[in-house]
Amino acid sequence: MALERRAFLQAMFSRPLVAATVEGVLLGDVLSGLYVGLVFELFFLGGASLGGAHPDHDTLPAVSAASMAAAMGISSGADATPAMWALAILICAPFGRSGLWLENRLDKRARKYFGRAVRATDSGELGRAARQNLRAMWPQFVFYGLLCAAAAASGPTLASFVASAPASVLRALTWSYPAMGVAAAAVAVAASHAARKNSIAFLSASVTAAVMVALRLRGEG
Amino acid sequence: MTPSLPFFTLARIAWRSLFIQAGFSPDAMQTLGLLYALQPAWPHLYAEPEAQAAASKRHLTPFNTHPYAAAAMVGGILHYELLLARGEGNAEEIAHFKTTLMGPLAALGDGFFWLSLRPATGAVGVALVPLLGEWAPVAFLVAYNFVHLVARTWLFVEGYELGARVVPRLKELKVPTWSNRLRTVTAAASAGVGAWLTQRFGALTGGESALLAALVCFGLGAVGVWMVEKKVPPLALLYGAAGLAGTASVLW
Repeated sequence: MALERRAFLQAMFSRPLVAATVEGVLLGDVLSGLYVGLVFELFFLGGASLGGAHPDHDTLPAVSAASMAAAMGISSGADATPAMWALAILICAPFGRSGLWLENRLDKRARKYFGRAVRATDSGELGRAARQNLRAMWPQFVFYGLLCAAAAASGPTLASFVASAPASVLRALTWSYPAMGVAAAAVAVAASHAARKNSIAFLSASVTAAVMVALRLRGEG
Repeated sequence: MTPSLPFFTLARIAWRSLFIQAGFSPDAMQTLGLLYALQPAWPHLYAEPEAQAAASKRHLTPFNTHPYAAAAMVGGILHYELLLARGEGNAEEIAHFKTTLMGPLAALGDGFFWLSLRPATGAVGVALVPLLGEWAPVAFLVAYNFVHLVARTWLFVEGYELGARVVPRLKELKVPTWSNRLRTVTAAASAGVGAWLTQRFGALTGGESALLAALVCFGLGAVGVWMVEKKVPPLALLYGAAGLAGTASVLW
């Protein structure tokens, strides 16, 4: 996924919704991946690499948080709870900035491969020159893989924190999950650049809320 | 013998163009990727090693465009290289094609794929979570990649066959109109998901207060859009929302 995001294909396997869900499947807690990925997908929806300037890294926080939440659930002996999802999101959200920093560093490092390609072309080794393109990929694979593994490894430590946390902290974390989801949805609406986005968003949210309230009342009735 | 590019070689170049950003660097940008994609063409176009090296050197100048639109650029470069190899064109035509089209194609690709199609399919994918559960990401991938892969193949073929005349063909597609429609979908789907989250997880806040909590979240969403438009950093909004909800849980 680290390679697919930019180096090869860009078929969106590295988008937060997909990458985090896959991470959840791999760790045996698909719901954690799905609901963590959902928030990050909305949060990073408007990010785009334009003219060589990169946006915050969207895959790294999503995969790290999904790993962390799933690992917390596993350590607690059950599926992760919304409080665990929220804690993982809160810890991993800044990784988007760290990922961007790392990405820019790796881009600068890739200059040396271009230098090698120029020298190889000058000496008539055209195949070797072309292959430099593939050599630039491996650092991304190694660095992002290590970071995600570290996030998963931190899960058990955090699980013990959640297990020993007072009920008020757990309650606060549980409440913060939908609040962060709404904040991420607001970021997505603002980033949509749609004409009349505010009225469209208001209409859509009102209709959805009305349908859900109606369904709930019908169920209670 | 007249130089030509066999189908297998064209397919190989199209495959290699998927790696256009693998060796991205701040100065050369996608130049390494372009060099890698074009390399299988040289033995078919130029018999002499010196001519092959000269062709390779022609493409060591900085190159950058949208990675999907690069398919049209790679196809177009092959179109002009083929003309040059047959003695029907010149190297200036190739340089002119690259410099005049890589910018506009980048803008077109960014505007449609990165700022319209991806957000729209992503938001719809998220909106399908309540209905499809863990299959929602699969629906997102299928919808996005159907358009993506068809577009990439079409751009490569049209670029190869038409060269710079691919531009009028692109105009016929009315890309800006589709982009605007997709952006509307993004706004509607994202807001719908926000409302669903407040209802679905607002219930966790406990019995009678659930509806009120959901209404507060609704207001938070509206304020959130306004704050992002006022350049409040999204991370600050995310943490602010969590902080407010956490505080409310203590006071409620």
